[in-house]
Amino acid sequence: MNLIREIWQSIVRRDPLSTDKGKSELVFLNVWLHIHPAKVKKENLKFRHTFYLGFITFFLFLILLTTGIALMVYYRPYPPQAYQDMKDLQYVVFMGPFLRNMHRWAAHGMVICVFLHMCRVFYTGSYKKPRQFNWVIGVLLLLLTLGLSFTGYLLPWDQLAYWAITVGTNIGSYAPLVGGQVRELLLGGHSVGEGALLRFYVLHVAVLPSLMILLTIVHFWRVRKDGGLSRPVWKLKGKKEELVTIGAPAQTAALQAAAASKDKTYGLMEVVSGKPIFETVTPEEEEDTVFSYPYAFVREAVVLMATVTTIMTISLFLNAPLEELANPAKTPNPAKAPWYFLGLQELVSHSAFLGGVVAPALMVLLLLAIPYLDRNPSRNLADRKLILWLFTIFVVANLALIVVGTFFRGPGWALVPPWVHVVGGTE
Amino acid sequence: MERRLQQLFFALSLFALVLILAAGWQANTPSWKTYQRSFLQIEAQGEPNAVTKAAVLATPPEIHQVLLSGLQRVDRCTTCHLGVEDPTMKNAPEPFRYHAGLGPHVPSRFGCTICHGGQGLATDKEGAHGNVAFWPNPLLSRDYIRASCGRCHKEGEVPGVPELTEGRHLFETQGCRGCHKLDGVGGSIGPDLTGEGANRRSPDWLERHFLAPNAVSTGSAMPNFHFTKEQARDLTYYMLSLTNEEMGSYFSSVRLIPSPEYGRQLFVEKDCLACHAVGGAGAKTAPDLLGVTKRHSIEWLDEQLVNPELVYPGSSMPEYDLEANARKALVAYMATATPEDVQLVLSRKTRTMTPEDVAIEAGKQDFARFGCVGCHGTELQGGVANPNAQGGEVPSLLHVSDDYTKDEVIAIIRNGRVPPMDNAAGPAPPLYMPAWKHVLSDEDINRIADYLWSKQEKNKDAW
Repeated sequence: MNLIREIWQSIVRRDPLSTDKGKSELVFLNVWLHIHPAKVKKENLKFRHTFYLGFITFFLFLILLTTGIALMVYYRPYPPQAYQDMKDLQYVVFMGPFLRNMHRWAAHGMVICVFLHMCRVFYTGSYKKPRQFNWVIGVLLLLLTLGLSFTGYLLPWDQLAYWAITVGTNIGSYAPLVGGQVRELLLGGHSVGEGALLRFYVLHVAVLPSLMILLTIVHFWRVRKDGGLSRPVWKLKGKKEELVTIGAPAQTAALQAAAASKDKTYGLMEVVSGKPIFETVTPEEEEDTVFSYPYAFVREAVVLMATVTTIMTISLFLNAPLEELANPAKTPNPAKAPWYFLGLQELVSHSAFLGGVVAPALMVLLLLAIPYLDRNPSRNLADRKLILWLFTIFVVANLALIVVGTFFRGPGWALVPPWVHVVGGTE
Repeated sequence: MERRLQQLFFALSLFALVLILAAGWQANTPSWKTYQRSFLQIEAQGEPNAVTKAAVLATPPEIHQVLLSGLQRVDRCTTCHLGVEDPTMKNAPEPFRYHAGLGPHVPSRFGCTICHGGQGLATDKEGAHGNVAFWPNPLLSRDYIRASCGRCHKEGEVPGVPELTEGRHLFETQGCRGCHKLDGVGGSIGPDLTGEGANRRSPDWLERHFLAPNAVSTGSAMPNFHFTKEQARDLTYYMLSLTNEEMGSYFSSVRLIPSPEYGRQLFVEKDCLACHAVGGAGAKTAPDLLGVTKRHSIEWLDEQLVNPELVYPGSSMPEYDLEANARKALVAYMATATPEDVQLVLSRKTRTMTPEDVAIEAGKQDFARFGCVGCHGTELQGGVANPNAQGGEVPSLLHVSDDYTKDEVIAIIRNGRVPPMDNAAGPAPPLYMPAWKHVLSDEDINRIADYLWSKQEKNKDAW
């Protein structure tokens, strides 16, 4: 009995959870949980503030990691075995279709959620000082998500994959000077083939996920270090959110040289920060906080299970598409890029250079630069009308282009409404 | 609120568990397991006592598959079609019935899909039979199944499938290659037919297409050849046998059918009669071959053909390096060879051809094979209507040498020519001479010119 207690205590060193000390120690004595603060603001837990989109995106990524590793066991990244492996997953691997479906639908879900998360952060003005750089990291994570989805798109090696990647990489080749070379580097040749499949595989299972994990860690870390989640706009009530951060010299008063005391040792913490790095906490705001355990954790757990069950339910009933074996000699008409690049393809169909190079490059640069271009310090919606309109137009235009590219483009990229059936488009 | 959330968490966790179990149940109850259970029931009926019955019924379900690694094919058909190789299942209901009349083509070596089509990788009925989206080869219907023989047996005649031989002959004599490429040779006006049999086109479509190209493929440039129903079927058979897959070389030992007819062809080709005789007809240098299959075993004869010196030290018979089925065919012919037949072979042999004759004959074949006959006629008579061209029709080629030198004709074949117009203001004539230099080699073009000139001289005499 004593031994069991000793073992337990060697693992869990915190006080009982009935005490405040125990609740705090649960967080900061645990390597996985200590990314949370011990206490969080009540209003930040409200669903309608964040819709938990960041968490949902992260949980989808976890689903993708686990199902992805399981799928790697059954997959050989060279043609035409890659396609045969898809068929094996479909027909002979135990729960193979379920596994592949989960991976596929979670991937689409992640692209959608990461975009929605960006919109939420924008509309609440949470990219503003001191969180500018975390927005930049977020945009990089969005690009990585698209990159992961795009590289994964090729792996089934069916007609859908082959032609989507052919079209997608062709868009990239419109870039002046380097476009052609970048495409060749990516494909390991002039067209999508064995080399391309292997390169996309390496990017998809090693390079991009590693970068994703690294940047996700940085992203989470910065959320904490930049003062936690931003307070809901409706809590601001006209008063400016005052923040003090390390490394923002204009706002840090010179450190008072504390008189050396004989009965006190000074830790590093006291040297680096004269003031707390979080949003300034007044006594009445302190009243508004609760312990992360259980308030934050139970909500995260609910969101995790909701995400998992949603993806599972979809995967049980909706099968991931798998078309014919990739055939370089047989171009489907129209050949379409993955749906999230169809807006781009739509632009390219009007002007290869403007739509394929200038527009996406400007989009990415503008997204990255938003926190530095928007000098307005206020987070109140009423003070930000112009930029809100601009961003809304950006979002709506993107969605409209994707919708047009997905549903309204028929053979020869002609405008065909989805309710008109075109006969013999592929012959 | 917190209590509610905790309850929600547990409810969702429970739901996730239910979903996983549902997915597991879905994965664990595929239709093939039901088929295997019914098959075991049938098998158990034949068992004499309860112990063996129970043993049969206790056989665990498993996927059966034939791996044809050289062809990148995996056939799982026998997972449900469990009795194909079991003669006792002759009267069993489908899908368990025995497949009679397969000869050497046992499913465990050849799989099923190389003849039947369908999706060998699939393990459910709809998917396996291939009538699903995104699978280009559904099961071939019974009417056309014999076309599949031509996928491996690309040379010689296939017994029981005259359609294939006839279709191949039509293809090479009606000028199909003028527009269509096959194995890299031919024109590029029509689609390449190299993998036509692997395309998702139903046999019915092909057949209707041959009868009236424009009726099934609107705007097709293919002329109506006015094929008969039988000819359309022959060509359909031939098309269905064309695949990109190297079936013949994968099953290299079965490329040739060891039929006596093929043996006779080899017998003539290798000039066995230069040394041997059959019943006195032929040369006397080597043993008479009449009744040789009665004097020696088939194994002995086969060995003799592989390595004559090993069997008969000092034998002057050369090693012919024949593949196994060619040797079998020769032996099969020797068993049936008669002196009369050999006399026939000998009488043909005396009419030897000069190199010029060979070139002219080759030119004639090219003329037919690449479609020249389509406009200029099988006897060079021309006469196909071509409105607003000089004379209103495609010119006869019987008097070409009056107007052109041989080099000029070769240049016209190489580069093509637009016919001069009757009425310069009128519309261009619909038919014109295409440039052939990308389709035909210079050698082929020279032979065609030789062939034309051979016809000219005869005509001049008649003039």
